[in-house]
Amino acid sequence: MINKNVEKLLLKVQKPGRYVGGEMNSVKKIKDEIDVRFAFCFPDTYEIGMSHLGMKILYSIFNNVPYIWCERVFAPWLDMENIMKERNIPLFALESGDPITDFDFIGFTLQYELSYTNVLNMLKLANIPIKSKDRTELNQIVVAGGPCACNPEPLADFIDIFFIGEGEEVDLEVIELYRKCKAENKTKEEFLNLAAQIKGVYVPALYDVEYNDDFTIKSFIPKNGAPSVVEKRLMLNMDKSYYPENFVVPNIEIVHDRAVSEIFRGCIRGCRFCQAGFLYRPVREKSVDVIDEQCHALCNNTGYDEVSLSSLSSSDYTKIVPLLEKLNSWSNDEKVSLSLPSLRVDGFSEEILEKINTVRKSGLTFAPEAGTQRLRDVINKNVFEDELMETCSKAFNSGWNKVKLYFMIGLPTETYEDVEGIAHLSQKVVDTFYRCENKPKGKGVTVTISTASFVPKPFTPFQWFPQNSRKELMDKQLHIKDTITTKKVNYNYHDADTSYIEAVFARGDRRLCKVMEKALEKGFHFDGWNDCFFLEKWLKIFDECGIDPDFYACRERSFDEILPWDFLDYGVSKEFLKKECEKAYNDTTTPHCRLKCSNCGAAKYGGGVCFERR
Amino acid sequence: MKDVRVWFTKKDECKFISHLDLNRVMLRALHKSRIPIWHTEGFNVHPYATFPLPLSLGFEGERECMDVRLIEEYSFKEIKDKLNESLPSGIRIFDVTEPEMKAKEITFSVFKIKLTSESVNADELYKDINELFAKDEVLVEKKTKKKGFKEINLKPYLNNHKIERNIGGAILNITLPAGSVTNINPLLIQKALERYYNINVYFDVVKTDMLDKNLKSFK
Repeated sequence: MINKNVEKLLLKVQKPGRYVGGEMNSVKKIKDEIDVRFAFCFPDTYEIGMSHLGMKILYSIFNNVPYIWCERVFAPWLDMENIMKERNIPLFALESGDPITDFDFIGFTLQYELSYTNVLNMLKLANIPIKSKDRTELNQIVVAGGPCACNPEPLADFIDIFFIGEGEEVDLEVIELYRKCKAENKTKEEFLNLAAQIKGVYVPALYDVEYNDDFTIKSFIPKNGAPSVVEKRLMLNMDKSYYPENFVVPNIEIVHDRAVSEIFRGCIRGCRFCQAGFLYRPVREKSVDVIDEQCHALCNNTGYDEVSLSSLSSSDYTKIVPLLEKLNSWSNDEKVSLSLPSLRVDGFSEEILEKINTVRKSGLTFAPEAGTQRLRDVINKNVFEDELMETCSKAFNSGWNKVKLYFMIGLPTETYEDVEGIAHLSQKVVDTFYRCENKPKGKGVTVTISTASFVPKPFTPFQWFPQNSRKELMDKQLHIKDTITTKKVNYNYHDADTSYIEAVFARGDRRLCKVMEKALEKGFHFDGWNDCFFLEKWLKIFDECGIDPDFYACRERSFDEILPWDFLDYGVSKEFLKKECEKAYNDTTTPHCRLKCSNCGAAKYGGGVCFERR
Repeated sequence: MKDVRVWFTKKDECKFISHLDLNRVMLRALHKSRIPIWHTEGFNVHPYATFPLPLSLGFEGERECMDVRLIEEYSFKEIKDKLNESLPSGIRIFDVTEPEMKAKEITFSVFKIKLTSESVNADELYKDINELFAKDEVLVEKKTKKKGFKEINLKPYLNNHKIERNIGGAILNITLPAGSVTNINPLLIQKALERYYNINVYFDVVKTDMLDKNLKSFK
């Protein structure tokens, strides 16, 4: 529904379709018939938020409950935000067009540390007090979940409740509790105390943190009966886990404009830099029949002619070929194409390729992540150079002539030899092209390489590691540039400045809340977008707050330091992470979950890959 | 194969779907509804649909149309019903016909425009719009295809219209050139009002019909 205050302004902004709702399958309810209004806020633009699978799942789960009305809210782009501020139009939800100010729940999904400024900015635009302690009534409960909730501390002052792990069940339990507390006229404090007893709920206000003189954490103590360890929630049986048969189908083009089916959660690989690979353990697969049914229903209900099979590493699905065969049995006739993102270098088979008709000849992407075998062993990537060359040969012989390769720089133990290895490896891919007999005739080859700056993350074996300084990272970028000798290789690199701030917040503690608050005062927003990110301004704020950002980004932690996220339990033990860290420094790899169990701790959940037959 | 013309309204939230996005929305609905229509051949196979006259972003349309090609006999009523099930509620198919005219025969669009203003009252707005139409010359900047602006005189195009007084200000019913030869966007009149009277006006535009050169409804 179009917010009446907004309608007349919409022709003054880019892409007004972002702000009006009215899409097919969006849910409208009658206000008088519901008890709980939930504003599901995605702290980025409509096109990005609408592409996010987690939001689609939760939107549907919530709205299936008759007494809940869940609506979508996105961060207005700069032009719209200016107009809203000028005219005093509070942030509104798309389904009703109503301001979200008085909603029962304001929920955020935290996908990226640089979207934190948008979280606070959206609260401000909604005229909601940003600090938890300034919202005293039992409404406007601000909740947050998603991968970045694994270190909630930089947002501790602002969020009432964090959901730890997968939200399908715990979110509803908390909403139900709220409804009960509301009916019994309980206070917000009483509600929060009770909520903290639910598994998977973290209420930051119920914990006191004390610091040592060097600003490391001295103690982290729960009060009012809150648990000292908060355990993540997870859906053990993916076949029985709720999955929507319907997506809201956007009227304007979004980033991932297609049906999506999640084929499994988690990843068997254990790449040591990858946070998702640890947070979502153990691997849990959906069965072929269930995926097939879900894909078919989604295509029928939305009209999408493309389905993407989503996971952290698609070719690791144990029955990938039977799955593709089953899907092909209807997809070809119904002119639906399949896409398989996140293919590993060693998972690229001709059998798979034949069945996914959509891999456009324009580009193939692989992520060797590091330039030398030694460094790939350090990060436990378990991909070999000859596998990459073999895969590229297959691709070139089947008509491709463009390959993208993703790498990271600033990885632990990295030397200049490893950095040069990135350029050498891409040169070898170019050479491989010219050796291929069936390469596309009359065409040259383009190898595009991208390097991202490594950001150490919580719950990984590198959580203790100091990030490279910006100078080191930039020197490495230049060195790669200088080492590349051919015009067949294009080199892009991700800006080291944003990675630095990302690193600060990824492993930050509660002392950063005042930095966030100041950033809001100064009008920070969309820091994940290059045109809105200004490192100098961030450094100035840190300086004003008397906080050294290097303390978070570039400091090596000792194994016995209390880390800000240590009270959370994602199933992977700290002992395991320490062992993995030590193995990394000895260039030793760890086999993946299906080859051998490494006793990470996730078996305690009693399901998934840990109990598959080997 | 048989060409059919699908007639629809485009209102509410859906008036903010751009032409490019409307094409996508329609293709998705055609795909979902499984109506046997001709698909393009080649690398990226998709249902084939064309729009005789695109509607500007932000305008409501009461009589819009899209042409598709059926590859087998199919009931027009079913096309209507199936597409309506597959479209957002702001787009409603109200008729399906065999095309009688060619797209290039479209020469005019008919608009009904509600004028309101935050900067002047209804009387003044009504007076201003009448005065504007009484002028001998109405100069306004028009965007050219080459990213520049050129000044044009709207006066020759402002001869088929009626201005009514209403509570908020005025309602302007106007027929303007449209189609492949000359296209005059009604928002140029808004620009002219703002330029000549230094006021702020909001145009709530509804395109009600398309006409051929003899002012007969496009069919």
